[in-house]
Amino acid sequence: MAFQRTLGHGVGLRTRHFADWLAGPPPPVDFVEAVSENFMAPGGRPLAVLERVRRDVPVVLHGVSLSIGSVDPLSERYLDDLAALAGRIQPAWISDHLCWGTHGGRYLHDLLPLPFTEEALVHVAARVVRVQERLGRRILLENVSSYVTYRDSTMSEWEFLSEVARRADCGILLDVNNVYVSARNHGFDPSAYLAGVAGERVGQLHLAGFSDQGRYLLDAHDHPVAEAVWDLYREAVRRFGAVSTLVEWDERVPPLERLVEESRRAAAVEAEELAPPARRALP
Amino acid sequence: MTLAETQALFHAAVTRAEGDRTRELERCFAGTAGLQALDRVGIYADMYLWRLVDALREDYPKLAALLGDEGFYALTEVYVRAHPSEHHDLGQLGRRLPAYVRELPAARPDLADLAALEWARAEVFFEAEARAVGREALAVLSPERFLGARLRLAPALRLLVLEHGVVPLWRALEGGQPPPPPAPGTCAVAVWREGFEVFHASLDLDEALALEAAASGDPLPRVCAAFARRDDPAGAAFAALSGWLKAGWIAGVEAGGRGEDRP
Repeated sequence: MAFQRTLGHGVGLRTRHFADWLAGPPPPVDFVEAVSENFMAPGGRPLAVLERVRRDVPVVLHGVSLSIGSVDPLSERYLDDLAALAGRIQPAWISDHLCWGTHGGRYLHDLLPLPFTEEALVHVAARVVRVQERLGRRILLENVSSYVTYRDSTMSEWEFLSEVARRADCGILLDVNNVYVSARNHGFDPSAYLAGVAGERVGQLHLAGFSDQGRYLLDAHDHPVAEAVWDLYREAVRRFGAVSTLVEWDERVPPLERLVEESRRAAAVEAEELAPPARRALP
Repeated sequence: MTLAETQALFHAAVTRAEGDRTRELERCFAGTAGLQALDRVGIYADMYLWRLVDALREDYPKLAALLGDEGFYALTEVYVRAHPSEHHDLGQLGRRLPAYVRELPAARPDLADLAALEWARAEVFFEAEARAVGREALAVLSPERFLGARLRLAPALRLLVLEHGVVPLWRALEGGQPPPPPAPGTCAVAVWREGFEVFHASLDLDEALALEAAASGDPLPRVCAAFARRDDPAGAAFAALSGWLKAGWIAGVEAGGRGEDRP
């Protein structure tokens, strides 16, 4: 399926690294992910950098403001801006989050979880169909980290995510760190998530670092990927095969070389897990 | 609860809207022994405010430096409650801050003007590119066509007319120096971008009027008329236009009138 086209292993495009991208040959990454909203301006340095990066490596767009689960009407202004950016950049694909973040026309600029109910399922699936029609392409939806549990939920998160993807015929961006963070915060088995999600629709994986707040894990994107998340990534690779994988690092952003190193580690882990048994290195 | 009711409740809790919603929240969300439902919702409420204040600090670094962490947090907290984000771009959150500050009793009377300067700098940073024209764009015009010509200014250019001279204040804060006292008096400032770098500079008030006339689409003679009170009006107009061309403020010249342009 189209969701399985792998670009390899990439990194997010962050302001701190703009000068590196402009200065010399591109770093050894297979693709770059840009946060859509950061590049919707009419001009300026960010857009110029993105266009330059696009000449060197494939780019995917990752949004944070679609608010696909909100009861607010879909924002035509947002979809116009997104369509214009996609026309300009020609991304390999576009993704956003399975969440809501607007109410009464006001943006929380956060990724709030949805209750896993039939009502939400019907609502979200219909909106994904409309967005895909508007953009003329299928999108990928990402599972978010969460800290609350709705009493009204009637299914697991992975069942909800998979069913939205099936009904709307969209892809899944599976954030392995988010699976781990939510599993710890809610007390479910992260392996059960990987086993239950619609693997045939997983088109991209995310890795990131969380922050341990004691009573809960915060999806802070301010640390290296945790060892427990690397282990879960190995499991995901064994289950889903080679899937485009991106390392996110948004706070306390390290030098580009360090970020690329993290991405190369993901490539090495994938190669190791997918190597035929006879060719695996002995311990 | 319906999806709409759920989101209304959660939104009110995250934005810490007035009213006690404890019972509804406990009915909506489940907690655990280690982390109660209200504490879980509180994680989102804390992050909401921090995220918005951080975004404003990025656009208003000098205002933040002048007010200090506590002062800036206090200002932006009430601002965000008065003007929640209505745009998918978080970078638009601060567009009403200068006007909001102007209405507040403030420790310094020039805070709103400093904020206006910072917002203009943030705006031009993201404005559309435009290829600047050179002197030849004016030089080729015949006298007849010059009289009807209009300038098209670059999108990444703003003209501010402020109540205080804040350029020295901005410079002091940029250099980590103690802020000078407020300098009341009408002050015009141009803010523009060259390449990816943002600049600003004070303008004489008559030059500001000329620039305003050009931005309004007035023909060149009316633009130049702003310098009528100078000892050498033609020389002053020539110097101003030369400066605008050099700084890349002019993106086009629409020739008017009849007659052949000069070869």
